[in-house]
Amino acid sequence: MNTEHPPLVLVVEDEVSIRRFLKPTLQGEGFTVAETESGLDALAMAAYQHPAVVLLDLGLPDVDGLEVLRRLRQTSAVPVIVLTARGRDEDKIAGLDAGADDYLTKPFSVGELLARIRVALRHARTPGEDATGGPYDSGDLAVDLAARVVRVRGAEVHLTPHEFKIIALLVRRAGKVVTQKQILREVWGHAGHDQAHYVRLYVHQLRGKIERDPARPVHIVTEPGVGYRLRDA
Amino acid sequence: MADTPVPRSEPGKPPFRWLPYGAALLTVAACTAMDSLLYSHTDLANLVMVYLLGVLVLAYFQGTGASVFASILSVVAFDFCFVPPRFTLAIANAQHLFTFAVMLLVALSIGNLTAWVRAQAEEARARERRTAELYALSRELATTRGIDDLLGAALRHISQHLESAAVALLPDEKGKLTVRCGAASEFSLTPRETALAQWAYDFGQLTGRGTAIVPDAEALYVPLPASGETVGALAVKPLELGRLFSEEQVNLVEALAHQTALAVASDRLTDENQRIRVREENERIRSSLLSSVSHDLRTPLAAITGSASALLKDEGSIDPAGRKDLLENIRDEADRLGRLVSNLIEMTRLEAGPVELHKELHHLEDVVGSAIARMEERLAGRPITTSLPADLPMVPMDAMLMQQVFVNLIDNALKYTPASSPVEIAAEAGNGRMTVKVSDRGPGIPPEDLDRLFDKFYRGRLHGPTGGAGLGLAICKAVVEAHGGAIWAANRQGGGAVFQFFVPAEPATP
Repeated sequence: MNTEHPPLVLVVEDEVSIRRFLKPTLQGEGFTVAETESGLDALAMAAYQHPAVVLLDLGLPDVDGLEVLRRLRQTSAVPVIVLTARGRDEDKIAGLDAGADDYLTKPFSVGELLARIRVALRHARTPGEDATGGPYDSGDLAVDLAARVVRVRGAEVHLTPHEFKIIALLVRRAGKVVTQKQILREVWGHAGHDQAHYVRLYVHQLRGKIERDPARPVHIVTEPGVGYRLRDA
Repeated sequence: MADTPVPRSEPGKPPFRWLPYGAALLTVAACTAMDSLLYSHTDLANLVMVYLLGVLVLAYFQGTGASVFASILSVVAFDFCFVPPRFTLAIANAQHLFTFAVMLLVALSIGNLTAWVRAQAEEARARERRTAELYALSRELATTRGIDDLLGAALRHISQHLESAAVALLPDEKGKLTVRCGAASEFSLTPRETALAQWAYDFGQLTGRGTAIVPDAEALYVPLPASGETVGALAVKPLELGRLFSEEQVNLVEALAHQTALAVASDRLTDENQRIRVREENERIRSSLLSSVSHDLRTPLAAITGSASALLKDEGSIDPAGRKDLLENIRDEADRLGRLVSNLIEMTRLEAGPVELHKELHHLEDVVGSAIARMEERLAGRPITTSLPADLPMVPMDAMLMQQVFVNLIDNALKYTPASSPVEIAAEAGNGRMTVKVSDRGPGIPPEDLDRLFDKFYRGRLHGPTGGAGLGLAICKAVVEAHGGAIWAANRQGGGAVFQFFVPAEPATP
């Protein structure tokens, strides 16, 4: 409510070494930082201090991080970025399913961290993710959702209805990861696990139309084992 | 005789057999008929001989009981038909009593002796058969490996020789017998029957059908005794309902069981030795892993510690470019450490047991794309080209593991080739498989390395300054093989190396 106030980042992490570099980095970027290593404390702090973003490690000593996330979601829509260890893909998906906005895989670079926080804050400011916002414009790709027009290097590209729905969903959540399940649910209306390859098939077609080299996509990036992310404008 | 029931096995008396006595009656009748033809031509003593001949023949074919019966009958018939006064049992001359006594005695002796000789011959033949059977089995056991095959051979011999169904039961970890192989469907292993098998195993004792312990059981249970331990039990059940096994058959089964048990025990011993050898090999690999890994872990750690402490100690003597250099060194070495740890974890996971693949239909393009994205920083502007046909079908694969294959192959190319030389990734589908090539224009692979390249902890002769633990290609091999494919390396025409693999590609049908 007070835009002059520096945004508060709540860091819920039990590893001191991680907190040790997060705090100065975030402060250096103009955030205020609150820290805790307890999931229960985190819930209380989220309720009273109204953080702008929560960084939540899933492996907490007292409560399971996913449980913290679920309880937090009952009362708050604050953007949550989950921190997971590498190779724990099921954690990422479980976190996203439980209401996390995004995730970061340890080890991560400061650049990645700040980019994710920026995206989360931007989405938080436009409540209701379907807010169309302005037209998406990134490099050689421009998407105007209202006009239902997609241009690549200035030339209009014809998309099938499903392809358009997918790109529209990605644009609305630009910069954030979108899981295969979310795409299935929002584009097809249901989410059977055995249909995930439809998503891959359509994304493949979509890339063929909008990426210069579909094997090295610059717009629709695969988040292995999780879903896709439209690279932030 | 072969089908004499085992005496101790009797659930009741055997049915009385009429045949020998009928035969005795007929034989004596025939002798009497012959004698009546001879009567007028010869004297009484010769008529006795005919009876004795009859008893001899009868004893040979019908055994002792019949011959005793025939002996008595002969004396009576002789007296009645030929000794004057004829056709009465009365005797005119007292000396004929002596004739009768001697005749009876001789007839009985002939009968007994003949039956004994016959029995001896039978036994010798049975022994021979048993020896032949044992020999046949032992020859087969000697050339058979593996407990299941050993037991299978034994069961085959037993069921063939005894005209019966047979199963082998082996103990589980708790010592409880369960059917391991054989025609289990022939058996109704009720709690009672199972308990008998267990008894045979626990006490090393014959139980069940025809034995002292529950003689009316369905099957005979034979322990499998090896030296000092019982390895299991056999259950043998006659195919013909209600038949009992002869003593000879029981002896044979016991002998076969013994032989089988010894073979099983020795096979286990071989297995055990094999396991010990494998364990020693694993031990050796583990220690080589430890020395290799600890070196590879310590090198980047030393670089990180060194660079960081240099920066901390610095009081302005390091110029900005130098500081940046040190910082980059810290980051790069930490990355390297991260890759090494990932590979170690991945390898451990792949080796922990059968790999559980999360196979789903994927476009190779997607997998390659995310692998390249993961390598972006390491690529540092290195030209990398992909030629993936647009119509490449979706292929069932574990995307995460397959991505790791590409990461490792690209990483490998980066490590062993000059900084500006290109890396090419190409794929094609056909003949039910998708073939992928990752090629470089580096120095190629020394021929002597080609075969061992994919071995764990093997590092090529040319291993560069950024050598890993020799796990990357081993992981590739494990993953590709878990997918049912194969991977190999070769040198390219015109210089450089090519790593090639294929995975089965079912026709994609989304």
